[in-house]
Amino acid sequence: MSTAFTLDLETGFRGLLESGGVSPGISRLIWLPLPMLLVLVAAVVGVLVTVWLERKISAAVQQRIGPEYAGALGILQPLADGLKLLVKEDIVPARADGLLFTLGPVLVVVPVILSWLIVPFGQNLLISNVGVGIFLWVALSSIQPIGLLMSGYSSNNKYSLLGGLRAAAQSISYEIPLALAVLAVVMMTNSLSTVDIVDQQTGAGILSWNIWRQPVGFLIFWICALAECERLPFDLPEAEEELVAGYQTEYAGMKFALFYLGSYINLVLSALLVAVLYLGGWGFPLPVETLAGWLGQPIDAPLVQVITGSVGIVMTVLKAYVLVFTAILLRWTVPRVRIDQLLDFGWKFLLPIALVNLLVTAALKLAFPAVFGG
Amino acid sequence: MFGFLKQVGDYTKDAVSASQNIARGLSVTFDHLRRRPVTVQYPYEKLIPSERYRGRIHYEFDKCIACEVCVRVCPINLPVVDWVMNKATKKKELRNYSIDFGVCIFCGNCVEYCPTNCLSMTEEYELAAFDRHSLNFDNVALGRLPTNVTTDPAVVALRELAYLPKGEMDPHGVDPNRPRAGKLPEQVLADLPKSEETN
Repeated sequence: MSTAFTLDLETGFRGLLESGGVSPGISRLIWLPLPMLLVLVAAVVGVLVTVWLERKISAAVQQRIGPEYAGALGILQPLADGLKLLVKEDIVPARADGLLFTLGPVLVVVPVILSWLIVPFGQNLLISNVGVGIFLWVALSSIQPIGLLMSGYSSNNKYSLLGGLRAAAQSISYEIPLALAVLAVVMMTNSLSTVDIVDQQTGAGILSWNIWRQPVGFLIFWICALAECERLPFDLPEAEEELVAGYQTEYAGMKFALFYLGSYINLVLSALLVAVLYLGGWGFPLPVETLAGWLGQPIDAPLVQVITGSVGIVMTVLKAYVLVFTAILLRWTVPRVRIDQLLDFGWKFLLPIALVNLLVTAALKLAFPAVFGG
Repeated sequence: MFGFLKQVGDYTKDAVSASQNIARGLSVTFDHLRRRPVTVQYPYEKLIPSERYRGRIHYEFDKCIACEVCVRVCPINLPVVDWVMNKATKKKELRNYSIDFGVCIFCGNCVEYCPTNCLSMTEEYELAAFDRHSLNFDNVALGRLPTNVTTDPAVVALRELAYLPKGEMDPHGVDPNRPRAGKLPEQVLADLPKSEETN
């Protein structure tokens, strides 16, 4: 990737501070929390928007209106929900393990939020360009089932326990095809870094997106991501008809809100990662360099940089929300699978296909190194 | 060798048909997105209860002869008829009458059999109360007329589907004076042949 196309806020910000007489160490210290805070706020706002979208789209699919009175078009409804959960009584059930009961939701939410570390919204618009980025995400998402199992086990409730066990079984089953699908992409990129994965897809606009080279991998990844987020048709751990609310049954107030927040942050995160891995990340369907060339603008002009940076953010979010929309639509289309069907689907269908996909990608990489990344 | 290939083929066929079914389902749900909501926005909009709606029972104290037919036809003998025999006039003297709507199943048998028509069904259905005992209506409460959905200025009254004019599907903004589809009972009666009517 040409270094000309970079909107580097960190260098600019620290340069500004250091020209004002601040030492490099201090300027780094001042800079560090800013992107973290920004991404945290972005994640929470993303969740609020997703909750609102979920309720509005669900309503539209069922020919209802949905939330209407809290703010224009009910846009403040998720905020009202959150506020309500915030002031609710925090109940720990009798004979439950208090420590594990509290630790459970924390262990579910923290890895999910931590995973936002590696989500790129532009060439330099991410918290940290970790070299093992996507691997870090796979590793972090494996912590989640521990938290789910913990909260299910410590609740002193049979439904919670069953829900927790199901959540663990499901997460473990779908982690493997997910990782294999990611591996195929990584193999084509020769890098685990999310920025490199997007860079490799920016050559020819929409045509160079990974979805054309990895259609099977895209489907596997999306299905597994839905299973990891416990979205319908894979919401067995919290199947309300069978298990009341699964591992969440005994939770109320802020602890429940953490689960709720975690599941939606995870959904948005998964959608963002699908966008990054398969849909060209921040890439515009037409390469911005070409567009700038047509308009006769130099790509490294400050204004063009700002515009391309904003277009990148908008594109990433847009792609992610299209996927969120599909997930919501799928929720009202597909019935829930049984637990045996779920495990069969994961182990007997997705896993072999993901393996074949990986092998075929490897073969294609050897045969056509120009197209499949040499 | 070929057995294996057939298995793979069957597997693929299954997967393709499953994805086709999911795509068909998605197209159905997607199509619903552009349809109008069918829900009634309850406290602000209300459906006009249908004819012969069996709501809260209305009772006229002065018509009642304390015959207790309503008690006898009631599945659970619910109406309480409090009367005394006036020895002088040799007539029953009604003192109190009550029906507990927390227990009533609104079957309408009492209304059906009342010889003096002092019982009748209303279209009142909003019987929520904080205390179930407040649903035990005495003869004063039973004699109150229910509020009418169509005359309530705070409520948009909507007609049910069967009461809409011919061709209308959406009750919003339909002229209240337009007659419903089909004939009213008296119109059906008028159109009957004379011979049948004279029977």
